[in-house]
Amino acid sequence: MTMDIRHHPDDEMLLAQATGRNDVGTRLVLASHLELCGHCRERLRVLEAVGGAMLGELDPATVAEDALERTWARIARQDAATPRRIDASAPPPLPQGATWPRALAHCRATPWRWIGPGLRWSRISVPQASEANLFLLRVAPGKYLPRHTHTGRELTQILCGRFHDGRALFGPGDFDAADAEIHHQPVVQARRECICLASVDGKLQFDTVIARFFGGLVGM
Amino acid sequence: MTLVPSNPEQARDDDWGSVLTDVATRQDRAAFARLFAHFAPRVKRYLMQCGSPDVLAEELTQDAMAAVWRKATLFDPGRAAASTWIFAIARNLRVDALRRRQGLESRADDDVGAFDFDQLESDQPSPEDHLETQRLNQRLHGALARLPPEQLQVLRLSYFDDEPHVRIAAELGIPLGTAKSRVRLAVAQLRRLLER
Repeated sequence: MTMDIRHHPDDEMLLAQATGRNDVGTRLVLASHLELCGHCRERLRVLEAVGGAMLGELDPATVAEDALERTWARIARQDAATPRRIDASAPPPLPQGATWPRALAHCRATPWRWIGPGLRWSRISVPQASEANLFLLRVAPGKYLPRHTHTGRELTQILCGRFHDGRALFGPGDFDAADAEIHHQPVVQARRECICLASVDGKLQFDTVIARFFGGLVGM
Repeated sequence: MTLVPSNPEQARDDDWGSVLTDVATRQDRAAFARLFAHFAPRVKRYLMQCGSPDVLAEELTQDAMAAVWRKATLFDPGRAAASTWIFAIARNLRVDALRRRQGLESRADDDVGAFDFDQLESDQPSPEDHLETQRLNQRLHGALARLPPEQLQVLRLSYFDDEPHVRIAAELGIPLGTAKSRVRLAVAQLRRLLER
């Protein structure tokens, strides 16, 4: 599927991915973007190659004399161990043409839940990372997400549909990072519903009552 | 487009790629031992620079090298140099260990449940963006060599410190916000040098 991706993560976020400094939610939303965006995969590839080059130039440290033997012993132990089963559930159904990010293959997602007119959501839980605050939002054509701001960063990857939030138009494959300075109200375009993957690391602050109800659901 | 002349460092990178391929295709234990002798001490240095005490760095190094053996078949020389691939494995184990230290849950087994780019089937970066691995590494070594020393230091700290902005601010005697923009500038400069 070719996409016209216009909004990409910045270098700071890609560098944090390459160096292992992104939290789990950020990592997964970014990974979902990278699956679709060859341009950003290539940008990340360069930054990881910098890591490799720097690793190659480090002064060797002294390892234990029997480090290699102990490593072989580890390998033998791991060969004998049976792998854990991946505890994943089928994702909630997506409309035709939208693909479930492979980055989330090991995650669990709740069924779609109604939160308001034309508005549904699904909470995603990440094994071994209960602190991640990750969810899918599904907004019907022509509907909007209540106007809100964030105390922390909100990352969004658009899986299908399009919305305009007063700053720009976002479409399938686009990535957005909104911080506390951004006060926005995403409005979904008329023809098609919109599904987004989002990660929030602070509170979402909504301007209206129904919206505050949703903010409560999101868990803060 | 000027090509940076090949240098010994780069040639070594390619060699390690073929050694790693021997490990993958022939389960070649002697090849693994050579890989271990070269990379284990560097992986350990990396972990120590990131703040792991010696004992932990030793454990993690052995974990990382065991993962190198186990996952060798996933190594794709078309996408990364051996050093890059091993860096990514060590980085992931370091992140996990850090989570454990912070009292967060963490994966017991680095294979299961983790999202791993190596497991994506061969992806297609836009052809105009994609640089062949060997050429990418050639250019990269050239670009890193031409980066002003301060920018190189900033970049290095970004890879080898958990709170690089704090550390960069302290080492360069600049405010935290300035440290962040220095990192952005260093990456931008590196990308410019790579394009030449």
